[in-house]
Amino acid sequence: MKKGLRIRAAYLLLAAAFLLFLGLSLCVGSMPVGPREVTAVLLGRGEGAAAQVVLRLRLPRALAAALLGGALSVSGYLLQTFFATPIAGPYVLGISSGAKLAVSIVMVFAVQRLGALPFPLMMAAAFAGAMAVTLLILLFAGRARGMATLLVIGIMVGNVCAAVTDFFVTFADEAGVANLHAWSQGSFAGVSRENLLRAAPLILAALAAVFLLCKPISAFRLGEAYAQSMGVNVRAFRVLLIALSSLLSAGVTALTGPISFVGVAVPQLSRLLLGTSRPEHMIPGTLLLGAAFCMGCDLAARTAFAPTELAVSTVTAFFGAPVVIALMLRRSAGREEA
Amino acid sequence: MERDIRLGMRNLSVGYGGKTVVGGIDAGVAAGEILVLVGPNGSGKSTVLKTLCRRLRPVSGTVELSGEDAFRLSARQAASRMAVLLTHQPHPELVTCFEVAALGRYPHTGFMGRLTPLDRAAVEESLRQAGVWALRGADFGRISDGQRQRVLLARALCQQPEVLLLDEPTTYLDLGGKIALLEILQRLAKEKGVAVVLSLHEIDLAKGIGDQVLCLKDGRVQAMGAPEEVLSARGMEKLFDLPAGVYAPGAGIRFGTDGKEAAG
Repeated sequence: MKKGLRIRAAYLLLAAAFLLFLGLSLCVGSMPVGPREVTAVLLGRGEGAAAQVVLRLRLPRALAAALLGGALSVSGYLLQTFFATPIAGPYVLGISSGAKLAVSIVMVFAVQRLGALPFPLMMAAAFAGAMAVTLLILLFAGRARGMATLLVIGIMVGNVCAAVTDFFVTFADEAGVANLHAWSQGSFAGVSRENLLRAAPLILAALAAVFLLCKPISAFRLGEAYAQSMGVNVRAFRVLLIALSSLLSAGVTALTGPISFVGVAVPQLSRLLLGTSRPEHMIPGTLLLGAAFCMGCDLAARTAFAPTELAVSTVTAFFGAPVVIALMLRRSAGREEA
Repeated sequence: MERDIRLGMRNLSVGYGGKTVVGGIDAGVAAGEILVLVGPNGSGKSTVLKTLCRRLRPVSGTVELSGEDAFRLSARQAASRMAVLLTHQPHPELVTCFEVAALGRYPHTGFMGRLTPLDRAAVEESLRQAGVWALRGADFGRISDGQRQRVLLARALCQQPEVLLLDEPTTYLDLGGKIALLEILQRLAKEKGVAVVLSLHEIDLAKGIGDQVLCLKDGRVQAMGAPEEVLSARGMEKLFDLPAGVYAPGAGIRFGTDGKEAAG
C-alpha cells in the first residue's frame, strides 16, 4: 500500500511539473502574457497580438517539445531495456548521429535537385540512419555487452557519423548548408505545425505499441535467459524493441535534429521518482517526465539569454550529462560492494 | 510399470557452433523423479542444461517434453511445461520480491500480464513454499544472494511446470539453505509429480536427493544409474581423478527425515 501511495504521489508531481512548464512556456517570452490572459486565449476568448503569440508560436512549440521530448525518453527506455544497461540512449549510442547523417545526405541532394526536402523523405532517411547505426552497434557489441564497451562504441560511431556529416556539409552548396546548419543544432523552434501534425500519429501509434509490450518488458528485467524460459519469444521481442525505439528517435530527430542526453537521463530519473521499474508505470512516467523536462529545457533555451536563443541540446546536456555521470559513479560503487 | 516420461533426451549431443561438448546422452526423467547431473568443472553440465531449457540447439539428437520435440514448441508452450533456475542471478532495479516471483505466472496470464486472484494465490503459495513469504515486499536488489535464489525458485514454482531444470541451484546457499532447497525439490517431485533435473557439485547432496545420477566426463556420459551404484567411492575417484582412498564419505545427508531419526 505504501508503494501505491508513492506511485500516485509521483504521478501527481509529474502532472504538476508538466502543467507548470506548459503554463510557463505559454506565458514567458519577449512578450509576456499573464496566466489569466493565456487561459482566456486557450478558451477561445482572447484576441490581438497575445492570442497570435500564444496560439501560433508558443503553444505549437510547447506541444512539440512535450510530444517529442516524451517520445525521445521512451526511445531511451526501450534501448535501456534492450541492452540491459541504464546507460543506453539514442544520443549516447550515436543513433541520433546516424539519423542526422542520413538526413544530411538526403537534405544536401534533395535541395540540389528538388529545391526542398519533402518531409516523408526526411523521416525515412532518419529512420534508415537510426536503424543502420543500431545494427552496427549490435554487430560490434555482439555478445560482450559491457556498459563501457557499449558506450565507447556509441561515441565512436557518433563521431564517425559527425565526420561524414561535416564532409557532406563542406561540399554542399550554400542553400543546402543553411538549412542543414539550423536543423543540426537541435531545436524545437524549427518544428513546423504541418510536420508535427504529420509525425504525431506515427509517434503516438509507436507509443501505444510500446505500451502493449509491458508484459515482455517486465519479464525481460530478469535478463534474456529467464525471459525466454518464462515464455517470451526473445527474438521477435528484440526486433520489436529496436524497431520501435528507432522509429521514435528517428521521428524526433527528423523534426528537431539531434537532442542530447534526454533519452538516457529521463528514464533514470522517472524510475527513481516512481520507486519501481514496472513498465506499466515506467512508460507513462517516462513519457510525462520527458515532456516536462523538454518543455522546461526549451523554455530555458529561449529565455535564459534572450533575445539570443540557445540550442536546446546545450540545455539538455547541461542537465542530462550530470545524471549520466552520477549513474556511472553509482554503478561502479555498487560493483565494488558486490 | 510404464514410466511417464516428462523430459526425454534421445541420442542427444550438445555443444556450440556444431562442436560437440557432450555426446551420446540417452535419458528420461519421469514425473516425480529427480535426475542429478554431476561431473568435474567443464564437463558440460551447464551446456546440457542450456540445451534442455531450449537456449542452445542440440548438435544432434532431440529433447522431448512429454513426447514432443521441445524445439518445435512455441516459447509460451514450452514455458507452461518447463521452468528453470539459472546459476547466474539477475539484478534488476527497483522491483519487489513478490513481483519477481509473480513473473513466473507469465505463461498463464493474459496479454497485459494482469494477475487474477488465482495467480496471486499461486504466487503466495510458492513464496511460502520457498520460505521467503516474509520478503515479499522487500526490494529484490537488497536481499542476500541466498534469499534471491529462493525468490527465483518461488518464481519457478508458481510457473507450475511439469519439468523443473536447475543449474547448480545450491551455489549461493549455506548448508542449511542447500538442504532446505533440496527438500523443497523432493516434495515437489513426490507430491506434485514434477520431473526435476539439476546439476550439483556436492556429491553428498546428490546421493541423498537423486533418483538417478548422470555422471559427465570427457565429453560423454561416464556413468548413469541409481546414486548408490554410481556415486560409490570408486566411481567418484574415477570421475574426479582422485587418488584411491581419498574420497571417504560418512553417513552423508538424510533428506525428508524431519529430524525423527536424528542423531540415532
